[in-house]
Amino acid sequence: MNATHRIILVREWDAQVSASGCCGRLGGENTELGDKDTFAQNRREMEAMGEVYRALKAELVDVDMEITVVDPRNMIWLVPTLLKDSRKRGLGIGGIWSQLRRGVSYNAIIVDGKTLFSGRIPTAEVALEAVKRELDLRESELAVV
Amino acid sequence: MPAIVIAVLVAVAFFFGYKYYSKYLAEKVYALDKSKPTPAHEFEDGVDYVPTNKHVLFGHHFTSVAGAAPIVGPAIAVFWGWVPALVWVVLGTIFAAGVHDFGALVVSVRNKAQNIGTLTATVINARSRTLFLLIIFFLLTLVNAVFAVVIAILFEANPGAVIPIFFEIPMAIFIGQYIYRTRTSALVPSIIGVVLLYLSILVGQALPIDIAPLAAAMGLEARTLWIVVLFVYTFFASRLPVWLLLQPRDYINSHQLFIALAVIFLGILVGWDKIVAPAFNTNLPEGSPFWFPFLFITIACGAISGFHSLVSSGTTSKQLDNEEDARYVGYFGAVGEGSLALGSILACTAGVGAYAAWQEKYVDFPTASGGAVGNFVAGVGHFANNLGVPLGLATIFAAVVVISFAATTMDTGVRLQRYIVQEIAEIAHITPLARNITIATAIAVIVPMGLALYPGKAGGDAGFAFGYLWQLFGTTNQLTAGLALAVIAVWVFTNNRNPLAQIIPLTFLLAMTTWALFINLGKFYSEGDWLLTVLNAIIFILAVWLIIEAIGAMNRARGERDRTRRGTTPR
Repeated sequence: MNATHRIILVREWDAQVSASGCCGRLGGENTELGDKDTFAQNRREMEAMGEVYRALKAELVDVDMEITVVDPRNMIWLVPTLLKDSRKRGLGIGGIWSQLRRGVSYNAIIVDGKTLFSGRIPTAEVALEAVKRELDLRESELAVV
Repeated sequence: MPAIVIAVLVAVAFFFGYKYYSKYLAEKVYALDKSKPTPAHEFEDGVDYVPTNKHVLFGHHFTSVAGAAPIVGPAIAVFWGWVPALVWVVLGTIFAAGVHDFGALVVSVRNKAQNIGTLTATVINARSRTLFLLIIFFLLTLVNAVFAVVIAILFEANPGAVIPIFFEIPMAIFIGQYIYRTRTSALVPSIIGVVLLYLSILVGQALPIDIAPLAAAMGLEARTLWIVVLFVYTFFASRLPVWLLLQPRDYINSHQLFIALAVIFLGILVGWDKIVAPAFNTNLPEGSPFWFPFLFITIACGAISGFHSLVSSGTTSKQLDNEEDARYVGYFGAVGEGSLALGSILACTAGVGAYAAWQEKYVDFPTASGGAVGNFVAGVGHFANNLGVPLGLATIFAAVVVISFAATTMDTGVRLQRYIVQEIAEIAHITPLARNITIATAIAVIVPMGLALYPGKAGGDAGFAFGYLWQLFGTTNQLTAGLALAVIAVWVFTNNRNPLAQIIPLTFLLAMTTWALFINLGKFYSEGDWLLTVLNAIIFILAVWLIIEAIGAMNRARGERDRTRRGTTPR
């Protein structure tokens, strides 16, 4: 990552993941084989997280950050990245585990290895405030270092 | 030769394929341009279109493309010896799958992230989308049939796997309910789920479920009864909301995929097992299919898989941050699938004991195809045993991994088939069928079940007609890949670049597919096997149709380009 801060938005895509490549690919409304009803729940979550994403992009234009939207089933990326980010933050084993446990969730918002929201998607305003606060805190931590 | 040496040599070949050939494709064929905005930026909304780090995207893409099919094909194909199977997996991955997966991603990205079905209609013509749907219809029918047989074979041979697999269903439902309703961590429940699943193997081993006596009491073979049970299960499972079973099982499967890969390659490293199978099997009984052209349809996924184009042009193309990342995500995803196929070859040639044992398992084609997946399971069990897991448990573990993936594929396959049945009914104005999910699901279940139970006149009793059904599945998968390659070739050509990188694998695939279909057509006809004759003939017609469309599309593209060069426009 080249940016100073990494914000991770965790939510599922409206598509099947495992065992779909060779012989089936069940997806939501924008995929070739699928329909919009099958993954309606995911669609709602995607749209709610999309509002958070757009708010962060619009309001934090001056912050050197990278926003990543990731599916929690993509554990091959999510788990090592959370471990790396929370270690970089100087957390102990208990702290790292806590962030990891809360971060690999159905829905989560994570800033530099710290999980701010887990299991729910806040409104865009609430998310923005929390992320701003966390970024300020992190900036001050980095300034001390 | 030690299996680990083969694994290292293949890794080196894949490395050079990625480093040099994919670079050539990126620069000269697809002319990737980092400065060109991708749909992820152009339509960025944080919902469907999200610029995403290439490593994140690779994780998602690879987890999506990996499945059970790259295991089964190579496990059958080592019947001709390990060298032909290995060479096709390596060359196929480098020169066909990589080109295809990478290309489908690029073409989709350059066309507003449209999916491959829509691209087929726009790049080739509207008629070819019907062709695409027909190929997918037969592909799904065959997938559901062959995977039911695969699972039935594994249950019959590994009765200890029955309890873990049936335990996995309520456990996945419970985990899903827990994750979605309490909205807490997915990590801990999914890890606990995998641990419990593997602990249930101990129970399965202690209480193996052998349904042979029950089947005999009903006047059936055990495999027949398992196939019926599986389709009954699929009928109901495919009606459940996806968040209840399919998605929670995704969490468990995503752990299992990496555990299985680690077990295979670590087991090979620790055990230093030697390949016992012959490099070229010259001891084939009379009447066996010849490796040329049948090898190239027996191994479809693992050398090239048409369904990857649906993944590449689905969610992946909407997330690509910049065009240059397509090389890493698309090409390397194909390499990942090739590695699974390599694992299958090594398990079936180095993990099955001495040469005599191998020869017994691959004595003829029906035995080889009927027992292939069992051989993979035995091989992986042996590799896990190298790591200290008791052999009995290790074998059940391997069976559980394969069945988990195959069952997920069946569940998906029946759902997709139901959509297609309803779409066809809509087109044909059969309103009751188009609107009745139960009837559509019943059709999606009964047709493949009939095929799975079909004994066949050529297959022998070792695998019913499994070996031939698998080959037919391979042909439909290669035709899907052929259609995607034709789309990519036309797109490359109309952009004034050399499409040979697509035309060579496309021509090769179509030649091998039609040739194999033609040979089998004669065989089934002469044996009076009317079901397989008709099925084979339909797929042969689809192949010829595809060839005509591909040639027509290339000719139109050439005409268009010539007119553009001359500065004239068509009348």
